[in-house]
Amino acid sequence: MTRAFWTALAIVGAVLVETALGYLVPQPGRLFDPFLLVVVYCALAGGETHGMLTGVAAGWVQDALFGGRVLGLAGLSKLALGFAVGLAGGRFLITSAPARALAVLVASLADGLLVPWLASVFGLELAPLAPLALVGRAAVNASVGGVLFALVERRLQGSR
Amino acid sequence: MAQAVSPARRSRLLLGGLVLVHLAVISHQVDGGGGVSLLQHWLLAALSPLQSAVASVVGGASEAWRGYAFHRETYAENRRLGARLRELETQLQARTHRAQEAERLRDLLELRRELPLQTLAAQVVGREGVPWVRTLTLDRGESDGVTLDSPVLSPTGVVGRVFATGPHAARVQVLLDRDGGAGVVVERSRVHGVVSGQVAAPGTGSDDLLLKYVPERADVRVGDLVVTSGLDRIYPKGLVVGRVRFVGKGSGLSQDIRVEPSAGFDRLEEVLVVRRTELPLDTPHSVQ
Repeated sequence: MTRAFWTALAIVGAVLVETALGYLVPQPGRLFDPFLLVVVYCALAGGETHGMLTGVAAGWVQDALFGGRVLGLAGLSKLALGFAVGLAGGRFLITSAPARALAVLVASLADGLLVPWLASVFGLELAPLAPLALVGRAAVNASVGGVLFALVERRLQGSR
Repeated sequence: MAQAVSPARRSRLLLGGLVLVHLAVISHQVDGGGGVSLLQHWLLAALSPLQSAVASVVGGASEAWRGYAFHRETYAENRRLGARLRELETQLQARTHRAQEAERLRDLLELRRELPLQTLAAQVVGREGVPWVRTLTLDRGESDGVTLDSPVLSPTGVVGRVFATGPHAARVQVLLDRDGGAGVVVERSRVHGVVSGQVAAPGTGSDDLLLKYVPERADVRVGDLVVTSGLDRIYPKGLVVGRVRFVGKGSGLSQDIRVEPSAGFDRLEEVLVVRRTELPLDTPHSVQ
């Protein structure tokens, strides 16, 4: 129950950040994906089931508020990422800040490739991101994610 | 005696189930022409109040931040020019801000007067959050008379059309979206075509619109004004879309034509939504 509450709060936080970014930069989605950070963190902290459920929730909120005409693409992509990251978190030691940042980097790259691919499977046209933009977005996500995860962990350890 | 399902097996079953649900939901939307308005409607109705609240908080914070930044800037000025000048500068900035806002609203009002259509002014409260689409969120919804496919205009040109509505919010597919499009005509030569977006990433391409289906020998020149043709039955005839920036040889029998959109999509703060029920098939004159 507590975990669900904090996850929901994190998704609300992602909405806030995404909306705020919309005021500051013209195309915030090209720069940064706060929903992805929520999914990766929850998957690493709670395992694949928690990761994929968070992925579904975060992806659908992102689809509904910031996505295109067809709902579910970000939901499906983040569901798969939540599961994959959760699975990887259970098998490998992804606890240090650089390892977590690397997990965000890989997840961000996968998300950037997965959504256009899923769209093409359904016969929808989405412009794939240019390689430089894809890597840039992943780097920003990884940098911010690495710092944020370290801060959250430090706070959690302090409260224990 | 039923055997207990292991957690790993349970999570895989859940994954399979959720993937199937997603595939079904997405397929249903695609089969239905790309828009499950009821689903969009419910989700937007449930989530848009949160976004509106966040937008107003962020808007306030943004204003406060701008104010803070401005004061820091003028502080350096004050050091050189004295207290009197600082006061005047502050007043001047505040008035300039108000004047700019008034100018934008005046432009919007003028466009509203010129248009032979019933329109509704709306504020942009959000932008797309994924890199593959170009959308806006407006603070007006069904309760204000906004309906699906309502054209959205700015004082300088066509912005896009409404693709999802909630009670107090609506989402707009911008012309720049790759999935977006409008029937257009080149005003000088009356050559017809269709414009659509490319959604190019900043720094890696252009934000020009593609003018498609123009035959190789059609008379189109750089600088030509492109306006809506009204043939798509969404946008009224004669609204400015942009100017031709590039004409080249395309693949096949069509020309490669790029149009610079006249609406400044990245700077939009207020827009006009045309009420669908009031749409005439022929707008009598070009609105520029």
